[in-house]
Amino acid sequence: MSAAPPDVRLQDVILDARIRLEDLVDPQGLNELCKTFVALFGIPVRIYSIDGSLLVDSASENELCAYVNASADGRSACAAVVGGAKSREPGEAGDISHPCFTGAVYRIIALDYDGRRVGRLIIGPFVPSNVSGVPASLLAIHSSIDKARAQDLLDKMPRAKSQTVTRIAGHLKSALDLLLFSGHKAFVTSQMHLASVRESYRELEEKNARLQEAFDRLKELDRLKSSFLATVSHELRTPLTSIIGYSEMLSEGLAGDLKAEQLEFVRTIHEKGGQLLSLIVGLLDLGKLESGTMRMKLQIIGVGSVLREVVSTLTPAARKRGVKLSLDVAPGVADVRADSERLRQVFLNLVENAIKFTPADGEVALSARMAPPTDGASQTEDEGIALLAPTREQVEVHVADTGIGIPVRERIKVFDAFYQVDSSSTREYGGTGLGLSIVKRLVEGHGGTIRIQDNEPRGTVFVVTLPRPEPTMAEATRVA
Amino acid sequence: MQINFAGREIGLKLVYYGPALSGKTSNLRSLHQLTSERSRGRLMTLETKDDRTLFFDMLPLTLRAEGEERASGGPPGMTLRIKIFTVPGQVLHSSTRRLVLQGADGVAFIADSQISETEHNAASFLDLRNNLKELGLAIKGLPLVIQFNKRDLDHVRSDAEIDALASRGREPVFKASAVRGDGVIETFFGLLHLAWTQLDREHQLAKMLGIRQEALLPMAARQLGLSKDVSVLLSSCVGGRLERRPQVSS
Repeated sequence: MSAAPPDVRLQDVILDARIRLEDLVDPQGLNELCKTFVALFGIPVRIYSIDGSLLVDSASENELCAYVNASADGRSACAAVVGGAKSREPGEAGDISHPCFTGAVYRIIALDYDGRRVGRLIIGPFVPSNVSGVPASLLAIHSSIDKARAQDLLDKMPRAKSQTVTRIAGHLKSALDLLLFSGHKAFVTSQMHLASVRESYRELEEKNARLQEAFDRLKELDRLKSSFLATVSHELRTPLTSIIGYSEMLSEGLAGDLKAEQLEFVRTIHEKGGQLLSLIVGLLDLGKLESGTMRMKLQIIGVGSVLREVVSTLTPAARKRGVKLSLDVAPGVADVRADSERLRQVFLNLVENAIKFTPADGEVALSARMAPPTDGASQTEDEGIALLAPTREQVEVHVADTGIGIPVRERIKVFDAFYQVDSSSTREYGGTGLGLSIVKRLVEGHGGTIRIQDNEPRGTVFVVTLPRPEPTMAEATRVA
Repeated sequence: MQINFAGREIGLKLVYYGPALSGKTSNLRSLHQLTSERSRGRLMTLETKDDRTLFFDMLPLTLRAEGEERASGGPPGMTLRIKIFTVPGQVLHSSTRRLVLQGADGVAFIADSQISETEHNAASFLDLRNNLKELGLAIKGLPLVIQFNKRDLDHVRSDAEIDALASRGREPVFKASAVRGDGVIETFFGLLHLAWTQLDREHQLAKMLGIRQEALLPMAARQLGLSKDVSVLLSSCVGGRLERRPQVSS
C-alpha cells in the first residue's frame, strides 16, 4: 500500500513562497522603525508593498509643500509629482531619483528579499546639497509664488547629500531584510511544525488501521475456533453417549452375566466414558460462555442453600481423602440473583478442586458473609461513598484450603482455559484445566468476581463475590 | 522543480541527506562561505538548542542565466533559484526527512568517512530509499551524488578503499572535508550537473529558455565567484557515471 503523499502545499511554503512584505512584518512595528529613521535623519520615509499599497507613511507635509498646495495649480502639480514617485519602478538597479519642481528630490529604492522584489522605499522629499536657489520650475507653477518666501521655506526643508541618502537607505534596507528573514524563518518553522504533526498523524493513522485490521482478523479466528470447538464437542458427545449407555447396560448384566474381569473392564470403559463426557460438556460450556450464547435462568436464591447442597454432595469425597470439609454461613447473608444450577457448578468445582489439592488431614472451609467492596483499600476516601456504598455491598464466599497453594504470578493464568500451574500436576491430580476458566466466566456472567488469596499458614483461598440484586429488578431470564 | 516560463524563473530543489552528524549542515555553511554574497541568500537554520538540525537548513542561491536567442523569439535567459536543503539526520525525524525530500530535484548523500560510521551510512541510505518510495519516487531515477565527508579525521576509510567502492557504483563519489571547505563546491557542482542534465532532458530547457546545457555550469561558477574551472571541479569525482545518467521513465 503506497502512502498518500504528504501535504503538497508545504512545498510552496518552503520552496517558493511569494514573500509578501505585509505578511511577514508587523505594520505597526515597521512604522515605529521608520519613525526612528525620520527622527535620526529628518527625511520622510514611505514604504510601499509590491502591489503599490502604502504600508508606512512617516511623512508629514513640510511648509514649502503646504505653501505650494495653497493654489489649485500648485496642488495639481504636487499631486502629479507625488503620483509619479509612487508609481515609478526603481528599475534593474533598484535605485532612482524622482525630481520635484521645487528642486527637492524623492529617492525610490527597491526592496528585495530572496532574490525577488517585495516592495519599494521612498525617501523624500529632501533637497540635494547641490541645489541652493529657488528653481524656475517652482516659480512657474503659479504667479502667486513669492520667491523670497519660497527660498525661506526651501531652506527649511531637509537637505542631504546623495551618498548620505544612499547610506540611510542601505541601513534601512538591511534592517528590513533582517526583519523579513526573521519573519520568514518563523513562518517556515510554524508551517514545518504543522506539516510534521500532520505527517506523524497520518503515519499513526495508517498504523492504527493496520492494527485494527489484524485485531479484527484475530477476533474472527477466535470466533471460528470457538465455533469449531462447539461443533466438535457436540459431534463427539453423540457417539460417546452410546458408549456410556451400552457399557452401563453391559455392566448391569442386561446382555447376560459377565465374568469378574470382563465386568471390571466394562466398568472402566463406563467410568472413563463418563470422564470424557464431562470434559466435552466443559468444552461446550466454555464455547457457549465465550460466544455469549450460554442461557442462564436467573432467580433470587439463597447462597447458603447452594453451599449446603455442595457440601453434602462432596462430603463423601472429602472423607475418602481424609480432608475435613466445613461450612459457615454468617447470619444476614443476602440472597443473590443467580442460576442455581450454574452457581452450584461453580462451587462444586471450586470445592472439588480444593479437596483434590489438599493433603490428608488438611481442611477445606467454605464460608459466606456480606462484605464491603472488595478492592477498597481506601474505602473511606472513595468518591461518592455516601451514595454508592449501600449498593456496593456484596455476598462474599470463601473456599479456603490448606493445600499446595498457588504462586502469586500464576494467579491470573489459572483462569485461562487448559492452564495448570504445573503441567505435571495434570498427571498427579487429574483434571482438564477447563474447570477454573469455566468457573470464572460463570461468576462473571453473574456480575461477580473471583480472585485468589493466600491462606494462612498455607494453602489457597478462592474468593467469589456476587452482587446483591437491585431490589426493584424483576425476575428475568437473560443471556449472560 | 518549478518552472515559470512566463516569469522566466526556474526553482531547483537540492537535498543533502545522510546520517546524523555526517556534516550536512557543515556543507551548507561552507558553501555559504565559499560563494559570492551577490548570489547567495541568508543561510536559514532551524535547529534545536544543542545545534542539531530540527527541521532543515536552507541555503538559497539565485543565479541569472543569460540565454541565447531562441528560434521562437522572446527574451532569452532566466533566473535560476536553487534552494539547498539539509534533512535532520537523527533517526526519530523520519517524517520530517520525508517532508523535506518531497519534490527534490537531486540528492547529495553526505556519508561519514569514519570506519565506525559505516553502518549508520548504510542505514541512512536505506532510509532515503524508503522515504523516496513512500513519496512514490524511485532512487534509480533521482540525480544522486555521494560525498564521503570528514576526510580530515583519523580512522577513516582509505582513499583507495573509497575509489574501489566508487568504481563499482553508479553514483559519482566526492571526497570532502566540509569543515575545511574541501570538496564542498565539487559535490554541489556534481549534483547541479546531474540535476540540470536531467531537467534539461525532461523539459527541453535549452529549447524553451535558450540555455545550453553545457553553458549553465560555467555561468553558475562565474556568478558564485569561484576561481576553479568547472571541468576541474567535476574531475575530482571518483567512480560513478557523471556524464551518462540512465534515461528516466516518469
